[in-house]
Amino acid sequence: MASAFVAVSRGEAMAHASERGHVLLLPTHYYVAGGALAVSLSFLVLAFLSPRPLEEMARKRLLLLALPSTGRTLASLLSFAVFACLVAAGFLGSRDPLSNPLPLAVWTLLWVGLTLAQGIFGNLWARINPWYGPWRVVMALTGRGEAGEPFRLPKAWGYWPAVMLLFAFAWFELVYLAPDDPARLAAACLAYWLFSFAGMLLFGYEDWARRVEFLSTFFSMIARLSPFEAKEEDACRQLALRLPGAKAVDSDPLPPSGVAFLLLALSSVSFDGFMRTFTWLGLIGINPLDFPGRSAVILPNSLGLAAMFAALVAVFLIAVALGDRMAARPAGLGQSAGLLVWSIVPISMAYHFSHYLTALLVNGQYALAALSDPLSKGWNLFGTAGFHVQAGVALGAQSAWMIWNAQVAAIIGGHMLAVVIAHVIAYRIHGSQRDAATSQIPLAALMVGYTVFGLWLLSSPTAG
Amino acid sequence: MTEIRTDKAVKSSGLTRRTALKGLGAAAGLMMGPGFVRYSQAQSAEPIRIGFQCHRTGIGAAYGRWYERTTNAAVKLINEAGGINGRPLEIVVEDDGTDPKRGAEVVEKFANQHKVDLVYGTLFSHVVTGSAPAAGELKIPYYVVSEGYHVASGKLNRYCIQPGITDVKAQVRSVAPWIASNIGKKVTLVFPDYAFGHDHRDFFGPAFQEQGGEVVAMLPIPPTETSFTRYFPQIPPDTDAIYHVMVGPAVLTFVKEMGEFFGSQGPALFGFIDSLEAVDLASPGLEFLEGSHFWEGSPRYLQPDASEAQKFYRDAVGIDENGASVNDPKDVSTAAHMFGCWETLYVIKAAMEAADYKGPEDRAKLIEATEAMTEFAEGKEHPQGDKTFNGKIHQCFGHQNISLVENMKLKVVHRTSIEDGIYEPEADYMTMPL
Repeated sequence: MASAFVAVSRGEAMAHASERGHVLLLPTHYYVAGGALAVSLSFLVLAFLSPRPLEEMARKRLLLLALPSTGRTLASLLSFAVFACLVAAGFLGSRDPLSNPLPLAVWTLLWVGLTLAQGIFGNLWARINPWYGPWRVVMALTGRGEAGEPFRLPKAWGYWPAVMLLFAFAWFELVYLAPDDPARLAAACLAYWLFSFAGMLLFGYEDWARRVEFLSTFFSMIARLSPFEAKEEDACRQLALRLPGAKAVDSDPLPPSGVAFLLLALSSVSFDGFMRTFTWLGLIGINPLDFPGRSAVILPNSLGLAAMFAALVAVFLIAVALGDRMAARPAGLGQSAGLLVWSIVPISMAYHFSHYLTALLVNGQYALAALSDPLSKGWNLFGTAGFHVQAGVALGAQSAWMIWNAQVAAIIGGHMLAVVIAHVIAYRIHGSQRDAATSQIPLAALMVGYTVFGLWLLSSPTAG
Repeated sequence: MTEIRTDKAVKSSGLTRRTALKGLGAAAGLMMGPGFVRYSQAQSAEPIRIGFQCHRTGIGAAYGRWYERTTNAAVKLINEAGGINGRPLEIVVEDDGTDPKRGAEVVEKFANQHKVDLVYGTLFSHVVTGSAPAAGELKIPYYVVSEGYHVASGKLNRYCIQPGITDVKAQVRSVAPWIASNIGKKVTLVFPDYAFGHDHRDFFGPAFQEQGGEVVAMLPIPPTETSFTRYFPQIPPDTDAIYHVMVGPAVLTFVKEMGEFFGSQGPALFGFIDSLEAVDLASPGLEFLEGSHFWEGSPRYLQPDASEAQKFYRDAVGIDENGASVNDPKDVSTAAHMFGCWETLYVIKAAMEAADYKGPEDRAKLIEATEAMTEFAEGKEHPQGDKTFNGKIHQCFGHQNISLVENMKLKVVHRTSIEDGIYEPEADYMTMPL
């Protein structure tokens, strides 16, 4: 059997590793040091400046245009139709996860593409999720008003149902043996759609979408980063421009379960990077050059995913609690954590971008091709079925350099923005420049640490 | 990003990913190739279905992409030429996630759900060894393109066959004579300290001694190592050549540090292209490889004396003179290995024709017909070169290429004989019941 493993390592030399091999030759330690310095300096500069102008700027809104107030139901119904087609394709189309549109739509277009779009353009998901339209239709047909739900979700549950579902989702994506298998994914999507739809009918759309349906929860939180804000004013919907992250600053404090949700979103993406590093594989006794496949690491990776979450919650709470104690007028851990956790949003977005950039560049192309021929019947609906996927965008030393620099820019930029957001929030909590600065020392240190961790994840040797 | 329409893609790259899937018969009449008329007149137009166990996700994905392109190119040609026994080929792709457990599941799915005629195309050895028992139990032929010694070792079962690519034992043995007579008699082995490296250690040493050479030192490198400078002083000064088979993300670092350590003074280098398969040799950090030699299964770069068959194969798969995709020069192919897919499909075709294969009830006959083969002639079906096949160990033997790195390209300077790689068989699958 010893002789039987020749090819394993060969793939290792190539699969994701060749690009990482190019990164290993770059002076990444300078980037890491520079990143840490940039984030530290942002904090120092803020500490010595009055936060008031920044706080005032965060309130500013530049009206852009009036939006049509209708169309949400129609958009969602269309999206539901697309979703139904995708699920059908999952069951009936090609078994190849790079030819079947469903895995590509879920893992690349939705989980990567839409997350980034939410961060840039705002809460598109509220309009294009596949539940709202069908829910409205059922409500109209049954003559029930929007408030007429038969049951209410217990308030004490907070966001815990969404936390549990997000964990299940992350586990399915990162640990489960075959998350890309089109039929299994179709079954999972269908079951989840039915579960959520039933929940919305029984407990009301808004509450369910906010606290249980984890995609809506996640996407609405990520959308707080977007500079675009749609608001009902004087009986008309208006689109306004704000500072990026200003909506996060304005957000209400999250309950502990909401804090947990945002930290889980960040920690699961972090673990996605960490579980491939030589460091983690060494820790769980796996030879990184001879990766045995997902089936061999289900238990350690399940525990690792949970441990990464627990660790991030612990350091975040310690940093916030310490900071709150250092302030002259403490606001209490619950209040501070519930507000300051909004500063995690840009970091989460930066991790999402950096970590999935390559997947987006390459699998996005597979998605374009697959959507043109969803059932592998030789169709060419959008003229892209014959698309030659240019994997080269993510291959070679030059691409590695460009991707690495884009990742660095995102990680550092995300953390700098986080420092700014946390600073303004702290000023609002404590009401003084001095307290805003002192209370933020531990959290700023955490953000410097997470910058270093993020850049290390992207520059250390990995398997697969 | 260049968009290439279907018609152009078919012409230039051979085809796109779904050409072969697109119902090559799956739903008759939807999109038949030029051979359609022939199919319809044949006795049975039911397609022959081949389950392609493909590394679409997981650590083998980069190989999977090229294995798929090569497979599609060969299937397209076979279908254009009338298919097999008058029936078109249809490829059913399932992703094994480069995981042995999933691999076994996929084999079962192929047999019971998709009801394919045979399973084909696996590269990574741990997936092969994990899937082989399922193939044996389900009595479904399992043609792998894996390069591992696992098939020839006799440790699998009668349904597992490797007719399209030579195994690592033969590859390593066949380069020994050339190294001994052209580079030097004293060699230091540098290898990652686990099974893959141990294969090279165990197969090369004895073969090199037979040639009057001597392995003067062995440097097993821990797999987690990412900096190598501290190991180089252990290389004896009288070493003529370093035989290196480092793999993983740190390969470029290894080469770069070796260059910094030895400068222009060092011993000669001999490596296996496995280390740098699909990596552009002109990448920064690899400059020190100039003037060194590599084993290649099939030449990555188009050679001036390339055979017509080789050119035909390269055009059909869609690789340019640098071994990269004609549509995407940065996408360097896995040229040293992927020809095995092409050749395996033509062996399947020949075996099906010899067995007058009609359907799954003839699977045993198909195995026997493959076992009865002894030689494959060089030509469009076997563009890498002629081969012999040993039915007892289900393994083919062929020529290997030794290439010099010149201007950061590989130039073939020697082609080994088939005999150079032959070893004593250690098994006989033909004594096992079918």
